Amino acid sequence: MKKQLTTLVGSAVIAGTTAFSPLQAAEFDGVEINILTRPGPVIAQRMVERGEEFTEMTGAKIRVNEVPFAELFQKILTDWATGTNSIDVAVFASGWAVELADGDLLEDLTPYVEADEKLQFEDIAPFFREFNQKIGGKTKLITIDGDFQMLYYRRDIFDEMGIAPPRNWDEYMAAAKATHGKDLNGDGEPDYGSCIFKKRNAQSYFAIMSVAAAFSQTQGTGQGFFFDPETMKPLINNEAWIEALNVYKATGEYGPAEELNQDIGDTRALVQAGRCALAIDWGDIGPLSIDESGAAIRDKMGATPMPGTSRVLDRETGKLVDCDAERCPHAIDGINISPFAAFGGWSGAINKKADDQVKQAAYAFLSYMNQPEQSNVDVTMGWTGYNPYRNSQLDDTSKWVAAGFSEEFAQNYLGAIKDSLNNPNMASDLRIPGTAQYQGNVLDRELARFLADEITAEEAVANIEAGWEEITEDFGRDTQRDMYKASLGITN
Amino acid sequence: MSTVGKQGTPSRRARTHRISEWLDRQSSTLFITPAVVLILVFSLFPLVASLIIAFSRFRLRAGSYQVRWVGFKNFEKQFFGSEQFHFLGTFKGMSVLGWVVATVAGVLILYWLYRYCRQKFWWLGFIGRIISALMAFGLVLLFSATLLSGHQFGTLGVTLFYVFVGCSLQFAIGLGLALLCAQPIRGRTFFRVVFFLPLMITPIGIGYAFRMLADTTKGPFSPAWQWVGLGDFAWSTDPWAARLFIVIGDSWQWIPFVFIILLAALENIPKDHREAAEVDGASGWQIFREITWPQLLPVAATVMLIRLIEAFKLVDLPNIMTAGGPGIATESMSLHSYFAWRSLDLGQSAAIAYLLLITTVVICVSFFNYVVLGRLRQGNA
Amino acid sequence: MTAVRKKISRRRTPLQWLFEAPSIGKMAPGTAVFVYGLLLFWTLVVLFPLYWVLITSFKTALDVNNGPVFLPWVDFTPSLHAWRELLVIDYEDTLRSYINSIVIATLSTALCVAVGSMAAYALARITYKPKFGNILLFVLAMLGGCYVVWKAGVDWKIAMTAAFAIWFFLLKSVGRFFKKSVGNGDILFWMISQRILPPIVTVVPIYMMFQNLKMLDTHLALILTYTVVNLPIVVWLLYDFISGIPIELEESAQLDGASRFRTFWEIVLPLAKPGLAATTLLVLILAWNEYILAVFLSTSNAQTIPILVAAMNAGERGILWWSMCVVIIIMIIPVVFMAILLQRFISKGVLLGAVKG
Repeated sequence: MKKQLTTLVGSAVIAGTTAFSPLQAAEFDGVEINILTRPGPVIAQRMVERGEEFTEMTGAKIRVNEVPFAELFQKILTDWATGTNSIDVAVFASGWAVELADGDLLEDLTPYVEADEKLQFEDIAPFFREFNQKIGGKTKLITIDGDFQMLYYRRDIFDEMGIAPPRNWDEYMAAAKATHGKDLNGDGEPDYGSCIFKKRNAQSYFAIMSVAAAFSQTQGTGQGFFFDPETMKPLINNEAWIEALNVYKATGEYGPAEELNQDIGDTRALVQAGRCALAIDWGDIGPLSIDESGAAIRDKMGATPMPGTSRVLDRETGKLVDCDAERCPHAIDGINISPFAAFGGWSGAINKKADDQVKQAAYAFLSYMNQPEQSNVDVTMGWTGYNPYRNSQLDDTSKWVAAGFSEEFAQNYLGAIKDSLNNPNMASDLRIPGTAQYQGNVLDRELARFLADEITAEEAVANIEAGWEEITEDFGRDTQRDMYKASLGITN
Repeated sequence: MSTVGKQGTPSRRARTHRISEWLDRQSSTLFITPAVVLILVFSLFPLVASLIIAFSRFRLRAGSYQVRWVGFKNFEKQFFGSEQFHFLGTFKGMSVLGWVVATVAGVLILYWLYRYCRQKFWWLGFIGRIISALMAFGLVLLFSATLLSGHQFGTLGVTLFYVFVGCSLQFAIGLGLALLCAQPIRGRTFFRVVFFLPLMITPIGIGYAFRMLADTTKGPFSPAWQWVGLGDFAWSTDPWAARLFIVIGDSWQWIPFVFIILLAALENIPKDHREAAEVDGASGWQIFREITWPQLLPVAATVMLIRLIEAFKLVDLPNIMTAGGPGIATESMSLHSYFAWRSLDLGQSAAIAYLLLITTVVICVSFFNYVVLGRLRQGNA
Repeated sequence: MTAVRKKISRRRTPLQWLFEAPSIGKMAPGTAVFVYGLLLFWTLVVLFPLYWVLITSFKTALDVNNGPVFLPWVDFTPSLHAWRELLVIDYEDTLRSYINSIVIATLSTALCVAVGSMAAYALARITYKPKFGNILLFVLAMLGGCYVVWKAGVDWKIAMTAAFAIWFFLLKSVGRFFKKSVGNGDILFWMISQRILPPIVTVVPIYMMFQNLKMLDTHLALILTYTVVNLPIVVWLLYDFISGIPIELEESAQLDGASRFRTFWEIVLPLAKPGLAATTLLVLILAWNEYILAVFLSTSNAQTIPILVAAMNAGERGILWWSMCVVIIIMIIPVVFMAILLQRFISKGVLLGAVKG
């Protein structure tokens, strides 16, 4: 209906950007930028504060609108796709962007980024710079929070008991078993060996993918582990996923009784109360442990990349086989690890149909949030919810120590992040249209049924495969395959 | 309307008179038009639009949307395809008990139809009864093939569980409280206001509040749990316990509604009948059965009908308390539709919502026609 | 009569003394213990969750996460941090949602009760006989209009006006050949049946409709939607109520030459006051607490307060129980106030007309 208009605005943008340089004083007087994100202090609050600074500098007014997390994506999509366009900038999980880009709703930020020197584009960690911010080779997102999962352990307890941080799942189980039922926070009550969120329709499917990644991806980020890039057949119905499902379920034995109904918020609260010896979480635990609410674990946590495995998937037979130099080129000590960039982090995208001047101001604001000068301070504060994604944030411990980290923990925490980020075998989240259906519907539901003992692991993987095939057929196999390849950076 | 005393020239007076007369003549239309127009615009249009969506694949695209007609595919999926276990349940053969129950129910339903044909026959009534009978038999069959055969039932079964167990519980407790409050007690106003409180809280709030209460690690009852030795038992990981807890939360909110209406009805029953019976030495139970209950019945039926309709739409509580888990054990049809909607599968979402609509209409209309009207006719006779 | 009863109950066994009422309007001691016991038990059941919500609003994260604490000042130190955050630091957001909720809930309730009571009165007192064929024609005309919009891309305003005109023309020409008509009961059932619709089915079309009218994120959009969603309940309850009012008063008024509007305004409404009060309260509560439609039809200007409750679930940062409890409490206060205000009506109020058979 509005196709002509789209192209018109599109060409105007490209023309406009050539003369563009960000952050000139009072450049955007009278421009109002409507940002949509989720509510509360996390993510949004810092944008409000930085927005006020930005208004003072450039004159553009930043208005942060908030909708509950569960409704955020529908809200953005309907607003942009139906042409309502009341939102100029949306800040959301980078994984969702594919669906939006597929509908041609996102402004291509490549020309903006190229003209922007303050951004220090090369300083952004390669995974976020090349995979997370880009769709089909074009930069469409600006990261403000870097997300991937890591393993956290109680350094004080582990040192005391002489346990090394687990490197694979056998060691994880052993450590969980050894610590389960001990009083970890000195309140006289037995605590838990392992806390991993398992609630349905929350984030449990991120955890299972985190576990499965190491079993099925060995050849680097570009290999992917959800589909066969040639046939678009799901790589699900195999021993790697069955093993991952069993491991994930088995950790429940050393967790709280209610684990099946706990989402990340619940387990994180337990970690903060000092009740978990081992936990899987995003980067937030680090800054949270120096927060007031984390008094019980202050300077007691350690971080390490997600556990790996020495038995990996042979994609031809669907069986698990032992690692060797050819099969696991990135293995360390024979253990293949594959840190999973679950969720992808909160990133900002600009509505393609916003006014030209609004787009420029919006980009300038996202750039301002992302620039090292601002973001290197923001990521050290737990309450912002921003996790590090720049090399300069990881190399320099001084800002972290200034924020309240001990030098030792800063080294340990940043080391774990660097180990994950620099791992060439980092696993990318699924980024093709229909991701919400693949993961949020089918994978999540079958996983929940497996955890609740309704079906076996074999049935679960068979159901997931069937469900995914159905979705792929629905969206069209060829287009899905092309999108999947593009999301992995395969160009042929 | 009289125009005496109004100012103005005779011709103007005549005109106002004409207008008011015209208005009065049109009054029957004017009274009902606003409601009809509002419902037509805001209910009928979305109903038709979502019916179209239910028969298609719907995708949002830049600046517009794409609707691709797929026929009955969305419905087929629920009954026979990959969503069968989710909507209906898992079928893996029927147990002996299942066969017995299904056969008995089938015979009873046939007998009911036969009796209707013998008594009086009206073709519209017959068609209605056929529909109800088919639905009833289908549900019994579903019930026998899943629950009675040890397999899991899907969101349809869960919804019916919420509706029937929840409504019975609410009716029983609501009626009990109303009877208690109808006793000659002090502080009736106090109890009335207090008992009314839960209805005022937003369902989302109740969902979260009950999640807090039910938490066995940090909720208020956790010391009691530990003490009884159930420290390792979490209600949210057991399918039946989780379903029951959601029913309790829903009942907590809606008992006040049943209570307040039944109490009003009780207070409206003329006292002299009851007093006369008391003088005659009738027992409390006799008074209730012979005098109170018949007078209460019409109100009770309306209340239950309202509750039935609302209970079919239950979505906030399971969504917040368990998100449908463990597995799919607490997922109601509304929630099923909501999840599909959330993952942008609007076609499936609308299809499920329509199935819910059909189920609700058949059950509510059946309830109204056979139970309520039947009893009323008996009562009047 | 009391004298007679006293004579009967003069000589009683202890068991009788315990459980048999000494006179009408009095309770025997045993019964009293039983009745008050149950009532107090239920009071506890109702109040304990509310108490828990109240004290949680004064807790810090540590108090909540480290296991249950029950009594302020005894086993934890109450803190006003959540209250301060919502009412002092971030008061703009809270206040805006609060005012939005008040405006939307009251206006939609008023509109709903006004429209609904008129329709209820009409259905209870006036006989309607719309021809079945005409309704069918209307539906066909509208469907045709939709089809043209969908397939041929005609502007919906033109298409709908044309469809309406065609229907009107047909109504005047062929309309009189139809014989079969529907009655008041059918209209009533049709209106009530609108309540059966799960909101999820209608939310996307309604969104698109308001988007077309450029009315998204306005108060009016929510007011209209809530009015329609709650209209069936109002019509249903008030229909029962109004048909229970003796018709003689209205008939004598009409003999005196009063118009229908005047009869409705001066006779029916005052008599229906208790029913109106109860219905108003119920609809007010429903509109005040609605969530799904509010999420969809509002972004920031018209955001209502239930969204603020849901917003306190900060996803991966966990649920901010303390702040959520504050919002729940400030949400209950005005409704409780209204309930106490309307309480004396409610006692007689929700008398569904069916009482009189």
